[in-house]
Amino acid sequence: MNQLTSALAVISMMGGLITGSQVMAEPFKVGVCYDLSKAYTFATPQVSQAAMDLAKLTNMKGGIGGEPVEVIVRDHGNEPQRGIECYNRLSREGVFVFDTLSTPVSLAILPRAMQDERILMQSLVGRGDAVDGTVFDWVYPVGPTYWGQAANDIGYIKQLHDGDLSDVKVGYIYFDYPFGQEPIEILETLAEKEGFELLLYPVPLPGSDQSGAWSKMRRDKPDHVISWMLGGAHVVASKEMQRNRIPMEKYISVNWLNEVDIANIGAKAATGLKRGTNVVGGLDVPLRTEIISELYDTGQGSGPLANTQDVYYNTGLAMYSIIFEAARRAVELEGLPITAQSYKAGLETLEKYDANGLMAPITVTSEDHGGGGKTRIEMWDGETWVPQTDWISAYSDVVWEVVKESSSKYEE
Amino acid sequence: MFYRLSGVHHANYVSDSRIFKVPADRNLAVFVLLFGLAAPFIVPSLYLNSYMLPWLIWTAAALGLNLVTGWAGQLHLGYAAVMAVGAYSAIHAARFGVPWEFALIIGGLASSVIGSLFAFAALRVKGLYLALTTLAMQFVMDWVLTHSPTITGGSHASLQSPTLALLGQEITSDAGYYYVAFGWCVLVTIFMLNLKRTGLGRALVAVREKDFAAAILGVNSFYYKILAFATSSFIAGVSGALLVATFFFLAAPEQFSVNVSIQVLAMVIVGGLSSIIGSYFGVALILLVPGLVNGIVAGGSLSLGMQINVETLAHIPNAVYGALIVIILLIEPLGLGKLYGNIRDYLMVWPFDQLRK
Repeated sequence: MNQLTSALAVISMMGGLITGSQVMAEPFKVGVCYDLSKAYTFATPQVSQAAMDLAKLTNMKGGIGGEPVEVIVRDHGNEPQRGIECYNRLSREGVFVFDTLSTPVSLAILPRAMQDERILMQSLVGRGDAVDGTVFDWVYPVGPTYWGQAANDIGYIKQLHDGDLSDVKVGYIYFDYPFGQEPIEILETLAEKEGFELLLYPVPLPGSDQSGAWSKMRRDKPDHVISWMLGGAHVVASKEMQRNRIPMEKYISVNWLNEVDIANIGAKAATGLKRGTNVVGGLDVPLRTEIISELYDTGQGSGPLANTQDVYYNTGLAMYSIIFEAARRAVELEGLPITAQSYKAGLETLEKYDANGLMAPITVTSEDHGGGGKTRIEMWDGETWVPQTDWISAYSDVVWEVVKESSSKYEE
Repeated sequence: MFYRLSGVHHANYVSDSRIFKVPADRNLAVFVLLFGLAAPFIVPSLYLNSYMLPWLIWTAAALGLNLVTGWAGQLHLGYAAVMAVGAYSAIHAARFGVPWEFALIIGGLASSVIGSLFAFAALRVKGLYLALTTLAMQFVMDWVLTHSPTITGGSHASLQSPTLALLGQEITSDAGYYYVAFGWCVLVTIFMLNLKRTGLGRALVAVREKDFAAAILGVNSFYYKILAFATSSFIAGVSGALLVATFFFLAAPEQFSVNVSIQVLAMVIVGGLSSIIGSYFGVALILLVPGLVNGIVAGGSLSLGMQINVETLAHIPNAVYGALIVIILLIEPLGLGKLYGNIRDYLMVWPFDQLRK
């Protein structure tokens, strides 16, 4: 019996070797488990289209280390159990790099990815303290955390006031929900440190009723309003601002504000509106131009052209440039095939990488999985986005204190 | 032919009040039970881990809701909130160092207390008004969870669950998690099967059919309603805690939000009110079919070589899934459990009933 089983094992191993050598070009796969049908649809079509376009472009140029890349896009409808199913299914197909673009799903996958030693990319979503690589070995929230973004907004306001915030009032309007509540702690810490007055204006989900918050704001007269809302809520906010005669210049949005929102507010009416961002907005991005000429002009685009004229498309390009660049580094470092270990090593060699001027330069290390968390403030001038600052990461010591304090609780 | 009714007679009350009146039903149940026990060795781990495990836990939860909605006839729109209470209390207890066996019971009791406390207030009203008050409970719970970092675990609102350990044994394998879920689901099912035969079950049905008529018969409808809420909340609490301990590994408010409540109610209604087997089917339909249809549509379009936009691809399964629910409820308004019952009735004396026609 034993002989039989060992013989079988040898045969199956040989079979594996043979088929393995036949299929030389085993692609590098990225599991894109996205919410394409429920809450995150304001951004996922553009981001997933960017991922597919970038994969096509990479393959046209010969792939990574001679192997093709593949992005496997699946819908999880923002339901944790379907996200877990997607993760389980794809990880059995040999995928070890995952991206969810959904906070609930990212949270649900995180313990599994940590245990199975697979890479969980979670740019812009999920728990922000995962930037602490000493605790979260396998989680890479490359890009700014909400804490970092909020600190950078304050850094920008400080620049406007020549470094003195003592008489400044900063309003913070946010979804009264973990997404919007997250930055409060850091804003309060900074208010104490810099001496500005912080005024909080919670808004119930989905942000269609904000009249109370804004009329209170008319009385309080804050000098700046930082906004942590999404999609249509920006449009409601702009209407309330007009009604309460609050100039658009005061509004500084989180990175979730795109061209669709601008169009809904009205391009003219939105003049002066600002947003924090980690990618360059607008159409004049080298990578995007290349994709348009190589793919869309020859009819090979992965979706409608309109989706590419959106800052979330640039966000997607940035996220996947990082993912593919890390794979390239992994091949350079340890050769083919790419494994989760070598991929991790590849990610952690990224230094001042900005994907050819597409985004804030990132430097990922084994301690800092966020890549530095740089953002900049852009202003809508009626036609396009005009950068107001360099790429900055303000108060990183304060941000890291909060990160460490929070991440230390994970392993308890 | 399939059920072999020949010689099956119930000549006394004890025999007539058996759980399985027809031996064939019992044999089927035993077969399913054996299959469930053997599943980790037969079913590929992907299906065991991402389909069967959540299916069993949600079935246990849906049976709990079925107790209050199907048996006692009280519409409950805040069931996920009750599950959340159980999940969070059990995890906090376990993090505090309480052994998991007791942590689960603490979770169940906490849910039970909060669920029935709320029922005290809510049961002054009936029908749709009760449904709305339970919905209010859901929103209160959502608010509490999103506004109390000490409960939900910091500003990210995610609370890591400690490793599950039962009877001094740490459970970390897929098969282990599965058996825990399986055990709980079997336990709840046995309880529900027996509920039918007890005075409590009959009292609940009396309350459901007409509560003042029940009162005339000497059934204290308020007491039984509270009892139904408390029992179902206990089941909800333990199910919620197990869901986190064996499947999610961390608790987040989104896992117990209002749409989850509506989903559980849909499971019960599509499955069939006060039908036990229906709850199994209903959970399978609501929980698993979206993912399965998604896989089939994605695989199908890939093998046919169709270039479908990923967004369209994501919405087709939703449309199919919605249509399925509508079609099933059109064919049989009493749900999947009744559909199964119809098939069973048809096959009961088949083919001999055909001779008469």
